[in-house]
Amino acid sequence: MKTFFEQFKFDAKRLLIRNFSFLFFSLLMPAGFYLLFTKIMISGTTAELSKLKLSYLGSMIIYSGIISAIFGIASLLKADRDEGFLCYLQLAPAKAKYYYGSLYLLIILVNLVAVLILQTLAVLLNSVKLDLYQVLFSILIVGIGQLPMVLLGTCLSYLKKQETLNVVSNLIVFPLAIVSGLWWPLSIMPTWIQKVGQVMPTFFANDLLSSVLLGNQIKTGNIIGITIWIIIGIAGVIVTLKLYHHRGWSFNA
Amino acid sequence: MREIVNVKELNFSYGNKRVLKNLNLTIHQGEIVGLIGENGAGKTTLLNILLGLLPADQEIKVFEGKPGQKKARQKIGSMLQGDIVLANVTVTEMLHEAAAQYFRSKNVTELLQELNLQKQADQLLTNLSGGLQRRVTFALALIGNPELLFLDEPTVGMDAQARKMFWQRIQALRDLGKTIVITSHYLEEIQQTADRLFILQKGKFVFQGTFQELQNKDKRTIIHFKTKLAIKNFQKLTAVVAATQLEDWIDLVSDDGDATLRSLVPFLEEINNVSIQRESLENIFLKMTNRMETLA
Repeated sequence: MKTFFEQFKFDAKRLLIRNFSFLFFSLLMPAGFYLLFTKIMISGTTAELSKLKLSYLGSMIIYSGIISAIFGIASLLKADRDEGFLCYLQLAPAKAKYYYGSLYLLIILVNLVAVLILQTLAVLLNSVKLDLYQVLFSILIVGIGQLPMVLLGTCLSYLKKQETLNVVSNLIVFPLAIVSGLWWPLSIMPTWIQKVGQVMPTFFANDLLSSVLLGNQIKTGNIIGITIWIIIGIAGVIVTLKLYHHRGWSFNA
Repeated sequence: MREIVNVKELNFSYGNKRVLKNLNLTIHQGEIVGLIGENGAGKTTLLNILLGLLPADQEIKVFEGKPGQKKARQKIGSMLQGDIVLANVTVTEMLHEAAAQYFRSKNVTELLQELNLQKQADQLLTNLSGGLQRRVTFALALIGNPELLFLDEPTVGMDAQARKMFWQRIQALRDLGKTIVITSHYLEEIQQTADRLFILQKGKFVFQGTFQELQNKDKRTIIHFKTKLAIKNFQKLTAVVAATQLEDWIDLVSDDGDATLRSLVPFLEEINNVSIQRESLENIFLKMTNRMETLA
């Protein structure tokens, strides 16, 4: 346990406290988007607006999760691997298990902070009312709902070139946010995009979170959807790791 | 003496390209082994296999277990090519992080003193020069207080002073009974330090033994002297295979030093500052790898 805490302290300092760009993209950008879409670019009746403020709150929480997972996990893992740090840990007695544990915990904590920041903004600036049940369930949904994205980010980190990773990450994050209805309502999209969007992991997480925030009934389909994506993500990581192990761990082999 | 590493008939390929061919290797406790070879000879691949970073099906024992096993990892320190230069991390933080991975790690402050890194303790790794980053990588190899060290090109990028300090540390580790496997392109340093040499050429060992044994295989002697006479007077002396002149200085490379010296007697009045040298590891290595001829 001591090794894990040392690892966590080390990673929190270098990846979070001293890494402004990561904090900006994971916490400040979604908060900025939330204020932009709910304070400036708005129209509709009072009832529609209060619904928008709640559903958009959920969307930006999920969007923050995608950014941390794809841009965060993928590039942090890749940078550490390219620097030979993962290879060094692989040769240490505990291998890299504490490292992975610490990194994933850090990303989840960042997202939980994002949840609290966005909800605080919603309450203070948009007069949104949230009870403790909604806050706690939001945290739970974010913790579980972002797992498929974290696993996908882990797979992407094994891409050979940083440039490829940047392109692939952008090709995933922004289209995924759009087709999952995180930026604009899915109903304004063409039918075929709606069909694609409705099977994406981010759609399931967003729909589930919206249900909690709007006080609607939770759909079992969303939970099943997230579970299936988690299984797919785990399978993806196992296959990627097997391929990588086959090639060898050393960064200069 | 206790066997630390034992490799039998090791073969290894990257896809269809066979890079290690039928290697046999035994390393005993307390030995310093120099692994030398041209770029691409297979040195790094061999180290990576011994560390368990590359899979190998053949029978390989490191601390009586397979490479990469937890028990062995606790006793091994490694310094691979390339330095770990993490962003936003100071030297001390990096060493504390590494120390937390081992049960019987060294004290970070003491290690910083040992390697003369106290001034850099609170500096970010990214702000250090290449030579200092290499020294931190050496510290990371030592932090777990290992019994066996694998050092791959450890002195690349270090200045002369840092290299001197590095080899002094290696001598001190030898005195503590540590086993060390080093690859380096600074053959003069390997020649002075290694107890045994393994020369790899195109994936095969072409020599295993002490430097003395290697020198005995190579009878060549270099006779160096100062003279005003022209080089043509010496080119046809007994057993001389090559002669070079730089201003008043002449080097004769001889296959039989005694015979050449006897044939120099008629010129004794005309020559001075005579010195006789055996071939250095670098020259023997270059000859073994057929580069001497190419260069000539």
